Amino acid sequence: MTPIRQTILETYAEVVESQSGSRPAAPEDDRVLLESGLDSLGFAILVTRLEEAFGFDPFVESDEAYYPVTFGDFIRFYEAHGARAG
Amino acid sequence: MLRAALRTRPLDSPALFYKGQTIPAAALTDTAYGGRVALRLDDPLALARAIIALDGTAERVLLLPDLPQETIATLMAQAGIDQLIRDSSELTAGHSDRPTEWILATSGTTGVPKLVRHIIASLTRMISASGWQEGQRWGLLYDMTRFAGLQVLLQALLGGASLILTRGDDPLPRRVAELAEAGCTALSATPTLWRKLMMTPGAETLPLQQITLGGEIVDADSLSALHRRYPVARLTHIYASTEAGAAFSVTDGQAGFPARYLDNPPKGIALAIREDRLFVRNPLVDPAYLGGEKHFADAEGFVDTGDSVIVTGDRVFFAGREDGCINVGGNKVHPEEVEAVLLSHPDVALARVSARRNPITGQLVVADIVPAGTPGDPAALRRSIEVHCAAMLAPFKRPALIRLVADLDIGASGKLSRTLPGSAS
Repeated sequence: MTPIRQTILETYAEVVESQSGSRPAAPEDDRVLLESGLDSLGFAILVTRLEEAFGFDPFVESDEAYYPVTFGDFIRFYEAHGARAG
Repeated sequence: MLRAALRTRPLDSPALFYKGQTIPAAALTDTAYGGRVALRLDDPLALARAIIALDGTAERVLLLPDLPQETIATLMAQAGIDQLIRDSSELTAGHSDRPTEWILATSGTTGVPKLVRHIIASLTRMISASGWQEGQRWGLLYDMTRFAGLQVLLQALLGGASLILTRGDDPLPRRVAELAEAGCTALSATPTLWRKLMMTPGAETLPLQQITLGGEIVDADSLSALHRRYPVARLTHIYASTEAGAAFSVTDGQAGFPARYLDNPPKGIALAIREDRLFVRNPLVDPAYLGGEKHFADAEGFVDTGDSVIVTGDRVFFAGREDGCINVGGNKVHPEEVEAVLLSHPDVALARVSARRNPITGQLVVADIVPAGTPGDPAALRRSIEVHCAAMLAPFKRPALIRLVADLDIGASGKLSRTLPGSAS
């Protein structure tokens, strides 16, 4: 597991827990993001907290707006950006 | 007006679609007699039918969103309503011929909403009426009791299209599937909802020719992402509010609006920029809240929209709310309200709430906190503040991020500076 994936999974679990009161299992990569226990507000919070953790927000920094559909899309987007950022 | 428009269509042409049902134009000729009625119908099909049956026959129709019972009673009294319709069987058959006043509630997030009186002309001034357009189908994702939702209904039925209804409490993937099933070619939503749609499987199959955005600042990134996803669709963003009515639309695919609108405004309205805020004059909207003394328009009829604007070359861009209001996915948050809650926590000395740009909700609430004393365990303090906020604030108002800082910048005025690096919308 890459460090980026690990941080995303931990932060995801924290956000879901703060919204629903219970800690979720790690979602499969093909799980639809908006059906992974996060609503759009929860997803927005996750992105903000990850920016604090990583020091970058790939959504703001990428040239074109990107909309991940699955949890795997989301993690790969951060990993690709993290690799580019070096 | 609605029934007259439907009469010009082929009798068997589909007017409404809802969950596999198709309602032809010929089935929408009933009229209901109403003096001053309020509609509080959860079923979108029943609500659409009631609106069509009451248009041009009721004196006044108050469209009620799902609100607490006591709020409904207050609003009904303000609007002088005689009858509350909670089930379509309560509508009385009958007819009269008069212009109907449509009363809409503002979508404020605190206190009792205010009521604004519209007539069909003020609601339809941006709609180009058209005869039957075979195959053109608007999807409805908004609540029909709100200005934006009523606009979509009127646009579809007066513009010669069919209307596909969906239920607000259904999950978005199901609503998208129903829109796709019924062949939705035109859709109106807020930028936040469009961004959600782009993350929803199945939305890519919608054969969209018309994309309409409104209700929040429309940014260039979202417009270009929509254009890539739906290359043949025309992109329109609409500037409208319950108070100003539908003011103008922009169809060139760019954020903001052309500065020439200030001198040559579209279709009968006037625009002005005063103290960096946009003012709109729409003579068709009654310039006072119903049941109240307060006029929201000035002596010349201009309404202060509260939206800050910046003119750059030949373009006017929106720069957020003048009152510092944060817009979280279409929900307004007053920083002062959140700061007051934070300051009521015993270990918080100073708090500043600001907006953080966000790819999904447009903006999010973040908080800088100066702790009272030195916190032993910063993580525990943050969690304690989160629990405190969760008990007192709606989810969209709670800070998504709590930063503990040593000090806050206080401006020369002695007020908290609301501009933080990176906090611009």
